[in-house]
Amino acid sequence: MLKGHLDLIVLAALAAGPAHGYAVIEEIRRKSGQAFDLPEGTIYPALHRLEQAGFLSSRWITVESGRRRRVYALTRLGDRALAERRAIWRQFSDAIGGLLSRARPRRKPA
Amino acid sequence: MISEYLDALATALNFDRALARTVRDEVEDHFRESIAADRTTDGVEAEQRAIAKFGDPHVLAGQFAVVSLAKQSRKIAVTILLVLVALFITMKTRVAWYALTQWTISEDVKPIGNIIGSIDRYAFWLSVVVGIGCWAYISGCRIPPSFDLEFRKHLRNFFFLCVASICALFVSVVSDGILTVLQLLGPEWSMKVVIPIGSMTVEIACAGVLALQVRNAVVLISPAAALTNIQERGKRP
Repeated sequence: MLKGHLDLIVLAALAAGPAHGYAVIEEIRRKSGQAFDLPEGTIYPALHRLEQAGFLSSRWITVESGRRRRVYALTRLGDRALAERRAIWRQFSDAIGGLLSRARPRRKPA
Repeated sequence: MISEYLDALATALNFDRALARTVRDEVEDHFRESIAADRTTDGVEAEQRAIAKFGDPHVLAGQFAVVSLAKQSRKIAVTILLVLVALFITMKTRVAWYALTQWTISEDVKPIGNIIGSIDRYAFWLSVVVGIGCWAYISGCRIPPSFDLEFRKHLRNFFFLCVASICALFVSVVSDGILTVLQLLGPEWSMKVVIPIGSMTVEIACAGVLALQVRNAVVLISPAAALTNIQERGKRP
């Protein structure tokens, strides 16, 4: 179920600002209260896929240790996609919430 | 241990060297961060944990292969469009040159020249229409996380359109070549042959670039597809 929403999760993690893969994973972990436990490596193909789709842009920077680091950021298209997916998710969540809150046993007909 | 893992991942991605290099650098950075954040004092244990949390390199390579296939397909579609634009410009340049130098085809070969000219025109515009369709089709395709049936179907359709466009384009280039030869059969040869011969060379070079691009994509598909099969097997219990 989590995999079906991976793109939304990654886009949401990048909503706060540009970040590299590890920071994205940490952000997902932090925001979800450690609830999402998917193999960390899965995030990277998702980042590449979202970049291919035009939702993310990336650039390489060099960190203090001299290592190269790829930093991803939401593009305008990605921002729009996130807003759309967020709205769809809220609608779905409200609908399920409504269904579950009304799940009381029906009275037997007289 | 980390470098062994990175080597395994880079080797699995060897069909796309640029991607293999990029992924290697990116994943190495991840591991260094992950190990630095691990509070245990034992470095080996931290490395083991980082690798275990990251996942199977072959399964990951399979997921990257899908992205690579999509990227290559889009690249081919854009190349087809660029080659078509280049061919259009060279053809128009040649025709303008013939008009400027008042260089007409000799009367004996005019009938055959007209037939080949029509074939050339229809083949070129067919290639343009199918080429644009090809680009629109692959641009509209969503890149899935795995090599699913729908994506396979899209790739098959895309390659079918590609082959149709490229075949029509080759017919157009060959027709152009024949027309140029017919034109050169004229009485006098001078410096004015430079433009037709030069433009034909550009056309042949463009067709060659396209053929090379398609060949590279085909070479990439089989190892990428093999990797995606590993990915599918990995999902099974």
